[in-house]
Amino acid sequence: MAAKSNTKKKNGFINSMFAKGSIDVPFFIILMTIVTVGLIMLFSSSYTYSYYNRGSSTEIFTRQLIYAVIGIVAMFLVSRIRYEYFRLIALIGVPVSYLLLVLVLFLPDSVQPGFYRWIDLKVITFQPSEIAKIGLILILAFLLEKNHKAITGKVPSEMTLCKKIDQYSKGRFVIYKSFTSVIIYGMLILSFAVLVYLENHLSGALLMLAIGVVMLWLGEAKGRWFAIGGALVVVAAIVLIANPEILKEYAGERITSWLDKDSDPLGVRWQTNNSLYAIGSGGFLGTGLGQSKQKHLFVSEPQNDFIFSIICEELGFVGATAIILLFAALIYRGIKIGMNAKDRFGALLAMGIVFQVGIQVALNIGVVTDLLPNTGISLPFFSYGGTSLVILLAEMGMVLSISRSSSRRE
Amino acid sequence: MMESQDKISCALVVLFKKLIFQKGCDYKMNRKPTKAMKTRSLRAFLIFCVALLVMIGNLFWIQIIKGEEFRLKAERNQLSDTVIAANRGTIYDSNMKVIAQSASAWLVYINPSKVETDEQKKLLIDGFVKIFELDEETVTKKVNRKESGYEKIIGQIDNKKKEELQQYIKDNKDSKIGSIIGIDPDTKRYYPLGTFASTIIGFTGSEDIGRSGLELKYNDTLTGESGRIITAKNARNGKMPNDYETIYDAQQGYSLVLTIDEVIQYYLEQQLVQAVSETQAKYAYGIVMDVKTGAILGMSTMPDYDLNSPYKVSSNSVLEQIKEIEDEKERQQAETNALYSQWRNRTITDTYEPGSVFKLFVGAAALEEGIMTVDTTYNCSGTIRVANYNQNCFNHKAHGTQTVFEAMPNSCNTFFITMGQKLGKETFSKYFQAFGFTETTGIDLPSEAKPVAGKTYYDVPNMGIAELSSASFGQTFQVTPIQMITAVASLGNGGKLMRPYVVSKVLDEEGNIISETEPFVKRQVISEKTADIMKDVMEQVCVWGTAKNAYVAGYHIAGKTGTSEKIGANAKDENVASFAGFAPANNPQIAVFIALDEPQYYATGGSGAAPVAGRIFENILAYLNIDPEYTDEEFAQATVTAPNLIGESTDTVKSKATGFTVKIVGDGETVISQMPASSQSMPKGGVIVVYTEENAEKQTATVPELTGLTLTEANRTAINAGFNIKVAGNTQGSGKMLSYKQSVPTGTVAETGYVITVYFRSDEVISD
Repeated sequence: MAAKSNTKKKNGFINSMFAKGSIDVPFFIILMTIVTVGLIMLFSSSYTYSYYNRGSSTEIFTRQLIYAVIGIVAMFLVSRIRYEYFRLIALIGVPVSYLLLVLVLFLPDSVQPGFYRWIDLKVITFQPSEIAKIGLILILAFLLEKNHKAITGKVPSEMTLCKKIDQYSKGRFVIYKSFTSVIIYGMLILSFAVLVYLENHLSGALLMLAIGVVMLWLGEAKGRWFAIGGALVVVAAIVLIANPEILKEYAGERITSWLDKDSDPLGVRWQTNNSLYAIGSGGFLGTGLGQSKQKHLFVSEPQNDFIFSIICEELGFVGATAIILLFAALIYRGIKIGMNAKDRFGALLAMGIVFQVGIQVALNIGVVTDLLPNTGISLPFFSYGGTSLVILLAEMGMVLSISRSSSRRE
Repeated sequence: MMESQDKISCALVVLFKKLIFQKGCDYKMNRKPTKAMKTRSLRAFLIFCVALLVMIGNLFWIQIIKGEEFRLKAERNQLSDTVIAANRGTIYDSNMKVIAQSASAWLVYINPSKVETDEQKKLLIDGFVKIFELDEETVTKKVNRKESGYEKIIGQIDNKKKEELQQYIKDNKDSKIGSIIGIDPDTKRYYPLGTFASTIIGFTGSEDIGRSGLELKYNDTLTGESGRIITAKNARNGKMPNDYETIYDAQQGYSLVLTIDEVIQYYLEQQLVQAVSETQAKYAYGIVMDVKTGAILGMSTMPDYDLNSPYKVSSNSVLEQIKEIEDEKERQQAETNALYSQWRNRTITDTYEPGSVFKLFVGAAALEEGIMTVDTTYNCSGTIRVANYNQNCFNHKAHGTQTVFEAMPNSCNTFFITMGQKLGKETFSKYFQAFGFTETTGIDLPSEAKPVAGKTYYDVPNMGIAELSSASFGQTFQVTPIQMITAVASLGNGGKLMRPYVVSKVLDEEGNIISETEPFVKRQVISEKTADIMKDVMEQVCVWGTAKNAYVAGYHIAGKTGTSEKIGANAKDENVASFAGFAPANNPQIAVFIALDEPQYYATGGSGAAPVAGRIFENILAYLNIDPEYTDEEFAQATVTAPNLIGESTDTVKSKATGFTVKIVGDGETVISQMPASSQSMPKGGVIVVYTEENAEKQTATVPELTGLTLTEANRTAINAGFNIKVAGNTQGSGKMLSYKQSVPTGTVAETGYVITVYFRSDEVISD
């Protein structure tokens, strides 16, 4: 012990950056299971598309495999960093996210014409919204921890405007910090969401809002906010469903097609219909791994957003349910890690990250099974996308890092 | 330790806080996750779980409850099911010459749902109308069927038309009509010999289904099993890698080998055509049968039609008659009738009054029953009283005292009426039935006419003496030509009635025999002894009787003629002239039946039908290499000149040199030289060697000993060795003629076909 302490002492600051303790094994096992199954299913679902569009049936899989390896390495490295230092990233993350989200709007729409979601670095392409998501989680975790008292307590706001209102109303209108801070965080979340929406990425924007809301919820913002927010969401949804034309064209017609199941079978409904055919074809036990027929270019880009329909076809109801339960287990374990975290930053970060995954899973499956309008949300760890996978795994590294510190404390 | 590290990290945070918020580090503050937060996180998870349960429930709905429905929808999308047409089997003659064959063709279809512009519509309609000569209205209708994904435009088009269409698509590339039009493999039936045996073979209609003749009868055998390629097509409608392709191979239909011999059929048709033109008969029917087996060697109804265009009225005179009909509906009806009429195989489907030919069976029955013997005589006065009227012989001629050997050649009505009456109606009917006239022969051809008691013939209860008497010379009932020849053949076959057949073998794609028709003896009708007597009787008919026009020098021909009055509203004073017989009489091999329906000239069996039969016998017996047994007298007259065969194709050379033995040397297609040269005198039935290649090595053989032989012997010896003889010297004297000298010495090697002069003299001692 003494010797060990000595070495640690010697290494000083650098040493203090390393997280000690062991990672949360159940979380890790669940995660690696998901990643492995994800890779297998990606190969199965992608090879036709890959064959026709990339010239080789294994190209997409190979790329994803390489990124998965990189991602897992990154995950271990990140898990070794003491999560306290992520506060630092939280502060840098906001300006970086803004910068990228604005920058992407001015870059050419080379990946998918009309959609400004990707930054094309020739070697890799990535979506700034992926970075912005974790950026948002980090900064909210940081702020919600730091201003915990202000949010939960009854402290009058110190803002000049609020003070003035207090003053002129002679104390009848006291504006509390719990109000102003939520407004400020709400503005922050909205600014992210609006920037993503400008990329023609409605689903990304909604996801951003959802993440923000969950963070505010976990950060103990007053319950009435959520009551009001929930009511607003219902109103907005009704308005949008009634008048889809308010939205940009592509998003609007997707809502229309979601409402009218028989509309335009060769156009907007094509993807969803074929997704349903694939899922239905799977039956109870599925057609067997690799046996999907719908992946043969019927389900457009079966390796991307609609990979779950191929999973349903090949693995059946049993396999699909198992995968859903795996995700549920991962999220539950993530929440547990958060609960056991040393501080609220760790807790909010771990929970934020796993809920982000959870929301994405729910939205993706909802779309694939036609419960929700067809938006563009990928299935974490399954859908094709190298940078996205690396970022996701790095986020998992953060959760593991938090689990290290809590295990050590215990 | 911990604290020091925390302090360091805290220091960093302090630094940032100072930088951004200008505040101190609240190090001591309780930062542990609060209880409220834990509760909230579990609540959030609970909501999430509810969402997931909804997802799982929805999956259950889609996959388990609605699964089948979606799966079927998916399959409809995924599978491209292409039918591979199975090739219909080939029909061969007995020498494996192709009579009917399927060749690959093409089928054109469109996908009307892909038609987008009016320009495309116009191009499609114009193109199909122009290239395939289709009805514009029909095509327009198909093109406009927007909801349809498949409309067949035309099938069975040949390669040329297909290429024409492809060029058209290419020429109009900009309009993208190529994506609307599809071309699939198809098959088409070809009949390389055209009209050959058309009424037997029949033809196929749309979808390659047999419409008449053997094509109809053996449709199931000939039709293969069409295959399918079930391809999991992908959304780009592209073919998928092979793993996803299930191929059910098309199984080609079985092939038929017929008993029909191309050469015999050719002779038969040739003679019937000639007969129709000579006698102006409405129809001429002919059948050639193998006496011993019942196999049909040739069968024809004239006029016939071209199998490659069955829907064209083949007879020009009929066509002109139709054109003269003014009423459109009537004209169409007349055309339809004419078509159905020309497709009929009348030797099977039609009946006629057999007339005097039937006397053969009355005679046979009387002999068999012992009612008469070969020595039984009957005195013909030219007329006989039957019931309350007189029945006469032809031209009231009194034939005097005759045995069956005279009565048959004379075709004496009174003789056979007497015999029939002696038989009685029960015995008569017994033999009538035994010879197969009350049943179908069971030949493997469609639409055989079925005899009906009381309608086509009188059965015992309905038969009176008048009917019996008339029936005894072949009136008051009707039979089909196939029944007649089958019955006649039984007389030449030792009394055994055979079941006639046309298909001898069924082969599979590789030529393996699937089934083979065994000759089938239906029954022994009369004893062999009676049959032998009948052969002799029938030979006399051809030697000096009514059928003497059927006589062929060198051969024993047996037969009987008949001339019957047609009964029926439309048949005023019209006859059916017929002949039935077989040869050689001493060892019957082929039976021939000829009938002329409503002949205008040579309107009797003896003058009209017998000569036709004679010519057919002559050709066929030579073709079958049945040696003629000439009397020396006949032989001397049988010297002919060699025909010119140079320039003939090898396919036709044999038919050009009928009556000769032709040997083809070389693999060329046309004859370049021949031996003996044209117009050189040579014996009838001699050897002609034809060469089809330049510089072909001449065929040679050793000259045999030809002296000390009779004319017939010398001739046979020479022909067997490959030479011809030219008769010189005395052949006409009395006594036995023997050869005593030959122009080329025995043992010399000479060119095959060479004509050797052989000198004959009588062995009789000339006493002077």
